[in-house]
Amino acid sequence: MDRRTFLKSAGTAALVASTGSLSAPALSQGANAKVLRFVPQANLANFDPIWGTQYVVRNAAALVWDTLYGVDENLVPRRQMVESEEVSADGLTWTFKLRPGLKFHDGEPVLAKDVVQSLKRWAARDPMGIMIVAQQQELTAVDDRTWKWVLKKPFPKMILALAKNNAPCSFIMPERIAQTDPFKQITEYIGSGPMKFNKGEWVPGAKAVFEKFDAYVPRSEKASWLAGGKNMLVNRIEWVIMPDPATAAAALQNGEVDWWETPIADLVPVLRRNANINVDISDPLGNIGSFRMNHLFPPFDNKMIRRAVLTAMNQEDYMRSIVGDDNKLWKSLPGFFTPDTPLYTEAGGEVLKQKNIELARKMIKDAGYKGEPVVCLVAQDQPNTKAMGDVTADLLKKIGLNVDFVATDWGTVGARRAQKTPPGQGGWNMFHTWHAGADCLNPSSYTAIRANGDKAWFGWPTSQPVEDAIVEWFDAKDIAGEKVAMDKLNKSALEDVVYAPTGFFMGYQAWRKNVTGVVKGPLPFFWNVAKA
Amino acid sequence: MFGFILRRIFATIPVMGFVALFVFSLLYLAPGDPAAVIAGDQATPEDVARIRAGLGLDRPFLVRFFEWFFRVLQGDLGTSIFTGLPVSQMIAQRIEPTVSLMSVTLVLAISVAVPLGVIAAWKCDTWVDRVVMSLAVLGFSVPVFVVGYLLAYAFALQLDWLPVQGYTPIKNGILPWFENLILPAITLGFVYIALIARITRASMLEVLQQDYIRTARAKGVSQKSILFLHALKNAAIPIVTVIGIGMALLIGGAVVTESVFAIPGLGRLTVDAILRRDYPIIQGVVLMFSFVYVVINLIVDLIYTMLDPRIRY
Repeated sequence: MDRRTFLKSAGTAALVASTGSLSAPALSQGANAKVLRFVPQANLANFDPIWGTQYVVRNAAALVWDTLYGVDENLVPRRQMVESEEVSADGLTWTFKLRPGLKFHDGEPVLAKDVVQSLKRWAARDPMGIMIVAQQQELTAVDDRTWKWVLKKPFPKMILALAKNNAPCSFIMPERIAQTDPFKQITEYIGSGPMKFNKGEWVPGAKAVFEKFDAYVPRSEKASWLAGGKNMLVNRIEWVIMPDPATAAAALQNGEVDWWETPIADLVPVLRRNANINVDISDPLGNIGSFRMNHLFPPFDNKMIRRAVLTAMNQEDYMRSIVGDDNKLWKSLPGFFTPDTPLYTEAGGEVLKQKNIELARKMIKDAGYKGEPVVCLVAQDQPNTKAMGDVTADLLKKIGLNVDFVATDWGTVGARRAQKTPPGQGGWNMFHTWHAGADCLNPSSYTAIRANGDKAWFGWPTSQPVEDAIVEWFDAKDIAGEKVAMDKLNKSALEDVVYAPTGFFMGYQAWRKNVTGVVKGPLPFFWNVAKA
Repeated sequence: MFGFILRRIFATIPVMGFVALFVFSLLYLAPGDPAAVIAGDQATPEDVARIRAGLGLDRPFLVRFFEWFFRVLQGDLGTSIFTGLPVSQMIAQRIEPTVSLMSVTLVLAISVAVPLGVIAAWKCDTWVDRVVMSLAVLGFSVPVFVVGYLLAYAFALQLDWLPVQGYTPIKNGILPWFENLILPAITLGFVYIALIARITRASMLEVLQQDYIRTARAKGVSQKSILFLHALKNAAIPIVTVIGIGMALLIGGAVVTESVFAIPGLGRLTVDAILRRDYPIIQGVVLMFSFVYVVINLIVDLIYTMLDPRIRY
């Protein structure tokens, strides 16, 4: 056989061998309808909802791990894994009982000892959990389905703490997994939620796969956010990670994916024009934009200068820089709490309505500003922070502050904002971020509103009236008492300028019309979502 | 020759060592904190510090470097900070899409660019030459992502001939595998075609002026034989060099192309790791790419000896 003959034969053989795979069967229509392809807001880079508290991890975890309680669309906590609870007359002993028949994905029953260990791990990381533990006498399993939490002091917000959807949620894991140090990552992903995590198909940065857990026992009530019957109408959910929004938009239009969690505002008109796509608000609780000033160093260690910034700012500028001309997507926010929720307040919010540059300039002069540079960290890889940063830089210049604009990436901001050194030595004066509206309903999980100095969130504000109002809210026995505390909190936080709220904004979600059951909420709820 | 190959392989060891030290130092000095990313936006500084300690990121530079370096010597690239998965496993998950993309791009680019360059040289200063060179300028000038979006818009969204995004492993069938790679390969190959076509033309023009070409023409050898048998072989050394150098271009371009077409390859793995400061992955991928580049250079050197028997090492 000469070289040419050999090459021809080899080529023919390769072609013949490949034809078997040329006609690899496509998924049948019925099977395809049971697979939901979803583009999440971000990459699922890790999958421990206690160790890592990013929203994307929480959203995926809600499929795999169930919670004791769940918040419904009216923001009311409802029983989920719990069958009943009882609190002693003195408010010190809480006794809980599990629903019967709950199972983990490995077939083992969910027992009270699993719950106890899961709560211990959660309480080491969660702000409300930490508060409970500070008052804890004991947390023990009584029998297979019952456990009790005995406190030294009543904690009226116990059910809210166990039901809240802010990360970290109190997800229930098997005892052996929950024994993992809360500051180290778990390696087994076994829960008792309606979907199982397929670790074998997990390609971080590309794909995460969830499969229906047949032994899941949904509640009989109608589903409402994290509460009620979590009935899975698809067999498999594939999370397809797409870092590029234009690609995600094209894939949705082409029917390659079914649901996109966070379409960017620029692409929404294109999606709306497609007859096969629905577009609607994703989360009615939205987000609160913010920039934080460092209270430790000049010029923002001076309350007058912080107030001057609030006096000058126009939230509309910030919001339009994020959402453009779509007026449905934003609202002015003269305060710190999520609009259209039961405890919303505008008390003390007048300062944010002034938009008075001249007055702000005078206030800064009167405050004795010495021209210190304001190191303004702006993450350029996050469209929201970049937009807000540009508006702030312009604002600060207008009111006579000397801006040192540091254009960087979010990873760097994340590290640098933790530095308490002076701004000229690796520290900072201000950075921009935003908070999920679901975290800003009340002070329970609102880390950013705390003003307890060294222990506060970045910027380290100190304000006794703010801290007193937070304690008052936790101790409030009823909604009226909570509202009084919230008014005080909003007013004092604006008075001392814990941070500067830049407004309330929402985003869209988009899905193909053959998908039904998509609801608005603080996270994507996959139960009761069907695909034709 | 065998001695040369051995020497070159041994020479890669200090190169890799230097790359390892350089990459590790660079990442150490770079700002950013993976613990802050893991902890989430609501985490307190204390939480971030405890996670950092849990990851061992609070230990001195030298301790971390030598620990990592000795593990690498044993073939262990470490574990991803975020996923907790071994870096080698994550690279293995991503290597097939990237190798597939680069292979198809390479085949496409060479099979298009070399004939274009030859034809441009043959038809030098005619409209054919100008069209080819204009296309080459276009290839250099238009960013990869623009080409990608335009192709996806035309062939996926409007004509519905090809998928917009994703990757199908070759084990699921050659046709679906190839369908997913056509647009990304054309996108990635655009600049590469421009580069090779220009070098081929320049190199061919020089060779076509040589006496032996004039002699061949005088002897009545056909134009096709002159171009592809006599001239191209003698013009091949710069072309092979630029193909080798262009592999670095391909690796860089793959990062963008994989993002535009949502291909789960090494390029996206690298970008994600950089954005999150997942140091073990960045170190592992950079080491691997450095090794690949050293090997490509070795192959290019060996091809020289096949193309030009006068070259000896």
